[in-house]
Amino acid sequence: MSDRTLLHGLVAFGRALREQGVEVGPGRMVEAARALDAVGLRDRRDVYFALRQTLLAHRDELELFDGLFGGWGASGASSEPVARPVVETRREGRARSDGDRTPDGAQALGTSSLELLRRRDFATLDEAELAELRRLLLDLGRTRPRRRSRRLRPSPTGGTLDLRRVVRRSMRSGGELVELPMRARKVVPRKLVVLCDVSGSMAPYARALLLFLHATAQSGHVEAFAFGTRLARLTGDLATRDPEVALERVTSPVVDWGSGTRIGASLAQFNDEYGRRALSRGAVVVIASDGWERDDPALIGHEMARLARAAYAIVWVNPLKGTPGYEPLALGMRAALPYVDRFLPGHNLESLEGLAGVLVGIERRHAA
Amino acid sequence: MAFRTVDDVEAALRAADYLPDRGLATALFLATALEKPVLLEGEAGVGKTEAAKALARAQGARLIRLQCYEGLDVAHAVYEWNYTRQLLHIRAAQEGGVSEEELFGPAFLIRRPLLEAVEADEPVVLLVDEIDRADEEFEAFLLEILSDFQITIPELGTITARRRPVVVLTSNRTRELHDALKRRCLFHWIDHPSVEREVEIVELKVPGIADRLAREAAALVQGLRGLDLEKPPGVAETIDWAQALTALGIEEVDEEVVATTLGSLLKVRDDLDAVRDGRLGELVADARVAARG
Repeated sequence: MSDRTLLHGLVAFGRALREQGVEVGPGRMVEAARALDAVGLRDRRDVYFALRQTLLAHRDELELFDGLFGGWGASGASSEPVARPVVETRREGRARSDGDRTPDGAQALGTSSLELLRRRDFATLDEAELAELRRLLLDLGRTRPRRRSRRLRPSPTGGTLDLRRVVRRSMRSGGELVELPMRARKVVPRKLVVLCDVSGSMAPYARALLLFLHATAQSGHVEAFAFGTRLARLTGDLATRDPEVALERVTSPVVDWGSGTRIGASLAQFNDEYGRRALSRGAVVVIASDGWERDDPALIGHEMARLARAAYAIVWVNPLKGTPGYEPLALGMRAALPYVDRFLPGHNLESLEGLAGVLVGIERRHAA
Repeated sequence: MAFRTVDDVEAALRAADYLPDRGLATALFLATALEKPVLLEGEAGVGKTEAAKALARAQGARLIRLQCYEGLDVAHAVYEWNYTRQLLHIRAAQEGGVSEEELFGPAFLIRRPLLEAVEADEPVVLLVDEIDRADEEFEAFLLEILSDFQITIPELGTITARRRPVVVLTSNRTRELHDALKRRCLFHWIDHPSVEREVEIVELKVPGIADRLAREAAALVQGLRGLDLEKPPGVAETIDWAQALTALGIEEVDEEVVATTLGSLLKVRDDLDAVRDGRLGELVADARVAARG
């Protein structure tokens, strides 16, 4: 194989990888060419590993790579992309009727005291109560999880001794320690990523949760997404100051309101499009959903595992958990739970207050 | 020592008592040939750290190891001033006073692994172990160092490496690393070794072990890895276990022997219980058949 043919083959191979979603930039192609030059073309194993080690950066891509490599090299330049394994989808009827959550008319009529309002299921609130809720949520949203930054700054109240400053001051005073400069780690807000299920079964709760989100987003560092059968980024919309406008604009991009939920596929979309760009890294990720999945729940487990590797902690908010005697029987919910650090209800204001409290003090489950 | 081919690396590692598979040999060869850091990922116990140590032995290079952990900072990874000595020095020299140049000079500098690796005159293999345990801010910092092998100390100026160390990073994948860091590195995923290779490894590390026992041990461990265990045994566990069996004077495995010594292979209580109560007999029988075959 001449150098020229080889180079053409390599370029075609890189293109095939790109078509399958592997990020192969020009930098990597150059490295691959250098690597091939270094190992030589005598041993097919060396060619395989040289390409794999320079072109890939993720274990998940190995299978895909192997499929493509099998069709490459033998003929020099041709590379027939191997079709991606199609994720088997099963349609399952919803096992739950929505009838058991009809608003209780008698309750909604009475003027709600704050205490009552706090404990009322969001599905049962009327317009006036929702307005009151909005005000309360604004307060709630101002509390945020924090993390300690690696940067240290002078702190009169403690932390560790700032020895560099001790030495410098001692030079002036001839070795006498007149005062002890201290420094401590700065505390900065932790990134917060919120993924909110807005499908039919979640509609009454999604509204309250989005109000909560909107309030939270005012303090920055929050990325918000809505999902139903697909995922839409809401961060820009939540930046709008007026909650009503934000709410309206929040719901419109997710056009599939009421058409069933594809949680696994939405999480996959999040991991692919945003996780790669480190959006979820080190973040507290809040997922609000009842866990009713239209497709294969196995995908949820897989995508949750990916998410859990990047995130600092995962909080799952499920309004159904507020129902006495609730057990996570929904297959999607069960697939997700092993990766969830905190599992909370989210059906009334009281439980959202609980969520806010958890977000402030949350610790990583898998302390390294 | 520079390697000219992948075969060279394979031979040199073997001579250093490490049996690499072809992929790992290629990765380490490329790391030296292209002067790029190599990131080794894989389950715990597949020999990632050991590979870096063996490479250092094979090259006659000095191994400098930076063990990562959450909260690792510049003071522990790069350098720190020896404040105690500085203060004592100021007191001792009270009369004449001390100049800043003297106080913040090389004599008072504590060198940590990254600075050592950059300053070294001799060939160095720098092992950044379990990078996934460090904070992401540290990852970003490491990326800077790996791109130009320069370290700036405000009081002393910039120190540039005279020769680039071979850099090996390992990760157990407890979290995803930055793409930027991954782009900088060659990437190699290490799988558990094949049965044949594991037999070879056991025979190398447990001298005098009966061939049959080595094969049965390797086959049984392979069987265990096929189960859905929380912590499947790594190569180190296979070696420990084979050593224990040899020390006990055992020549072939049976269900009772395995049941009593299983603790050297499985370190998690749930895994132990699951295997003991479950398919142990079947596993042992399979391993014996495989070893004969």
